[in-house]
Amino acid sequence: MGESAARSVDERWKGLRNALSGQFCASLGSLDEQRTTSPELTFRPEGSLPQWGTTHQLRHGTLPSEHVCTENLTPFLKLLPCKSLTGIASLLNPHRLFDADWHGLGVHVRYLENEGIEVRLSFQSVFDPVRYSNGRRDWSLRSVFDRVIDRSCPIAHSSEIRVAIPKEETAVAITPDSYTTHAGFVYFNVSNASKPLDISMSWPDEQKFEYATVSSAVPLTHVSVRRTLKGSSQSRGRLSVSITNHMPITIQTSYLESMPWLLQFYLHSLQIYSNGVSRDDLISIVSYIPSVPHVRPTLFQAILTLPPKSTLHLSMDVIKPFLRYTEHPPDAQRGWDLPPAVLVPLLHSNSSTLDPGLSNPPSGFEQLRLPRRMYTPVLLVDLATPDFSMPYNVIIMSCTLIALIFGMVFNLLTRKFTLIRVSPEPK
Amino acid sequence: MAAVLQAVRARLRRLLGTDENGTVMKIRRRNQFNNFIWKSLPIIRLILLVAGYAWMLAIPLPNLGRKTYIDENALQPGQVNTYWNWPDVLRADRYLADLEGLRDRNASSAEQAAYIVDEFKKLGIPSATQAYSFTGTSGVSNGTNAYAIHSSPRASGAEAILISASRISRTGDLNLRGISTVISLAAYLKGSSLWAKDLIFVISDDHLLGMQAWITSYHGSEQSGLVADPLTLSSGVIWTALNIDYPGHSFSHLGVFFEGLNGRLPNQDLINSFGLISVYTGGVPILLYDHRDPREVPHLESKLSIIPSWLPEIVKKQDAVKEYGFRAKNILRHVGYQARGQTSGVHGLLHRFRIDAITLFAVPATGPHGFHAIGRIIESTLRTMNNLLERLHASFFFYLLVLPSTFLKIGTYLPSVILVSVSMMFTGLGEWVDARWYQPKQSSIEEKAANGQAKSEAIPRPRPVLKALSIVLLTHLAGIALFYLRTLSLASGSETMSLLLFFLMASVPLIALTAHPSPPQAVAPLSKTLKAFNLCFASTVISVTSVLNFSLAAALAVSLGVPLSYSSPSRSSLGIKLAGYTIYAVLGFGWLVLCRKEVQEAIWNWEVLGAWFALFVCIIYSPLVLQAAIVSVLPP
Repeated sequence: MGESAARSVDERWKGLRNALSGQFCASLGSLDEQRTTSPELTFRPEGSLPQWGTTHQLRHGTLPSEHVCTENLTPFLKLLPCKSLTGIASLLNPHRLFDADWHGLGVHVRYLENEGIEVRLSFQSVFDPVRYSNGRRDWSLRSVFDRVIDRSCPIAHSSEIRVAIPKEETAVAITPDSYTTHAGFVYFNVSNASKPLDISMSWPDEQKFEYATVSSAVPLTHVSVRRTLKGSSQSRGRLSVSITNHMPITIQTSYLESMPWLLQFYLHSLQIYSNGVSRDDLISIVSYIPSVPHVRPTLFQAILTLPPKSTLHLSMDVIKPFLRYTEHPPDAQRGWDLPPAVLVPLLHSNSSTLDPGLSNPPSGFEQLRLPRRMYTPVLLVDLATPDFSMPYNVIIMSCTLIALIFGMVFNLLTRKFTLIRVSPEPK
Repeated sequence: MAAVLQAVRARLRRLLGTDENGTVMKIRRRNQFNNFIWKSLPIIRLILLVAGYAWMLAIPLPNLGRKTYIDENALQPGQVNTYWNWPDVLRADRYLADLEGLRDRNASSAEQAAYIVDEFKKLGIPSATQAYSFTGTSGVSNGTNAYAIHSSPRASGAEAILISASRISRTGDLNLRGISTVISLAAYLKGSSLWAKDLIFVISDDHLLGMQAWITSYHGSEQSGLVADPLTLSSGVIWTALNIDYPGHSFSHLGVFFEGLNGRLPNQDLINSFGLISVYTGGVPILLYDHRDPREVPHLESKLSIIPSWLPEIVKKQDAVKEYGFRAKNILRHVGYQARGQTSGVHGLLHRFRIDAITLFAVPATGPHGFHAIGRIIESTLRTMNNLLERLHASFFFYLLVLPSTFLKIGTYLPSVILVSVSMMFTGLGEWVDARWYQPKQSSIEEKAANGQAKSEAIPRPRPVLKALSIVLLTHLAGIALFYLRTLSLASGSETMSLLLFFLMASVPLIALTAHPSPPQAVAPLSKTLKAFNLCFASTVISVTSVLNFSLAAALAVSLGVPLSYSSPSRSSLGIKLAGYTIYAVLGFGWLVLCRKEVQEAIWNWEVLGAWFALFVCIIYSPLVLQAAIVSVLPP
């Protein structure tokens, strides 16, 4: 299916969107050209490119306003070989998954040379066992998912559960004991394990779990991002991004904003501060395609250099345009969700960026070699919104005013002026 | 066709008994009408003025107003089961004991904030402190806020609800129970996964300052004099907010405070939902402010009621009079806050960021309610806010609450002010026309006999527009100067300075006394032209303000309506002129000397919180009165 004249890339992108939309019961079909960009600096092709002798193009779109819900999970489960009947997938209990503190659903498709097309389906969630276990942090598959694994999926090549062992020095009991340990993780092979399999982990010496007030744990990510929209007016604001590098080395990362035209950047007001000092040298290779109202989104990409153990503050002024009244969504007063920014740390080909004082690379450094995309949370922006709650009042009021003005002007324009002699009033 | 129409018209004309052209009749009718209006203008404007004032007095009448209702269907107040229970009360009690320990050993605000942050962290909620310092004319104030943000499990955290308690209550006591409630609520609310908005808990230092520092930092707005740490945690757009003020040991009622800075009001749906939940879920009666109905507490009736004691008993005993008195008390309190642009609590600082916020004030009493009731009420109110799919936007921003569950719609109270304003506009336009025409006097007797001829013989004359406008401009410039002089730090609070300013402002316009009357047939008297401008401007200001801040417009209508309409140059002696002038001067600038504390407060509000009232009085109100004063001393 190469690029042919009859079906352009955009047409096929539209087809793909609609197909995915139908497949996963999501509104992905509305990822139209107002939300589609081609950020070639940030996203490199994953896997390998087919050798078709034609050029390839990139399409990227984000739909921020829809939450993953059980209606997306049902078609997702149908794609699994054993559905949610056996194997690890049987733990995917929608009642519990969507009760979690965070959940996400992923479908990754890539082409691998000589192997074919790989489809990776993932479901991630963050549970809070303290909430389920009455103040303790003990958990088991049953307490978390309200299910256990009764049977393994016979056609699975591998079926493995990995449990991280807490680093702190407290007694932890893990059942059942049919596991192997490797590098701080415990591995359960689901196909071999005795059924029903209910993995559990408990802290027998602990009566009640108390969160540590001082966190000694290393940050889970090398870089953390906070993005906010400052300003309270409906016409302008300031987009502010703070990126903290937790590592003792300099990290280069690409930064992508693909913003719908609902928020327009004033690029000249872009400011970069690191530790309170303006550092314009920390941003390079800025690529910017301005938005066209009603047509095309903004695409802003740059390479940021994050000095070790410091925070970079990036901010720029934005304006909020005035929408046509037909462009407002049904719940207009909610505002508009804006897509997240994406950070992709760049691969390090050599270790010359290491601090000279550092003798051996820190523990997480090896992982840094793998690019790991980071998405910021979405933003909500208030645009000037008419009061849709009483459209008829507004229509009646404005029509009356226009009618009055028109009437007066029309009257004056078409009137014939003549002199009339008015004699004194007869009494 | 045209011929037929013409014939019909001609017949009609004949039937009506006139042979004249219809246009002539029309013109004559119009002239008659104009004459009628012109002749009865003094009566019309008097009627409008009296009607306006009478309407204002009628606002508290018992049979006006309607029951409150919920306009936004998504809110569904009181439709949930609440699970806040005694273990949570116990937890709040423990926090209270800790806080009291901190209070007893005079812990600094930074220490207290550190304790609160630690407690939030023990609950697993990310939290941080924010230190701020504010430098103003009245000195430097420092403080530390503590805040925590619980990320919503249900949604992406683009929206948020704010729950706050200031360290100092509106009564001036410590708000320890309010703070304990908030921390205990945080522990409790974290236990459910149904929150679709981020929950932001803020324990702000001081009464207003802490929240002002926090909320301006949150929105990234700069304020001169305020230095605050940037916030290290962030969340989304805050839609609604509840501020908890619980100073006493127990409470009998929950009072709701809602007026914000510069006369902003939160959406009434929020107040109504809270009211319903408080009564039906929590079983706690609600009040407007801390006003208890005098009829409910007979032994305090004379203290609580504002009905004057000199009224005969038979009048005072009337139910309608009692109801009128109670409603009037509520309205006056509201006007007191709104007209002065003051916030009635911490919530009012949030309104300017489009956050609908109210304060729940636990009215101190010996019983019967405590943590158990307030927790359940807040839980249910938060669930109601959590239901919102979009901002509170229904047409509930214009209201006048007369009782907790009775309000007046905009149409029932707004016309009172507009009537006064229209009367002033008519007077001003009348003066403008009057200034144009000179009525020769010598032939008055014959003309009266000829009836109607007089009008045609009036002589047009030029009006000194430029002179009048320069006076108007100068008075407003003087107002700006006054504002800057008064806000200078050396002038703050000093009595001699206030007196000096008063005499300066009041005496300079007396130069007008030296003006010579010009011949009335050559040029219109300056006083008439000035009065026309003065009234037209005042009327415009009142009408425009009435939709932005009704209370301020009403206060202006009351204080400016009669004095400006009936300011006139007198031919009498200098003594009487000066007496009249003094009255105007006191009306316009008396506040400089007579209410110095009030002035100090207004300036603090301007400097720290950005309330416009002080500026408005200096630049709009006083100059308007000053113009009327000048009119009264100018030659006729």
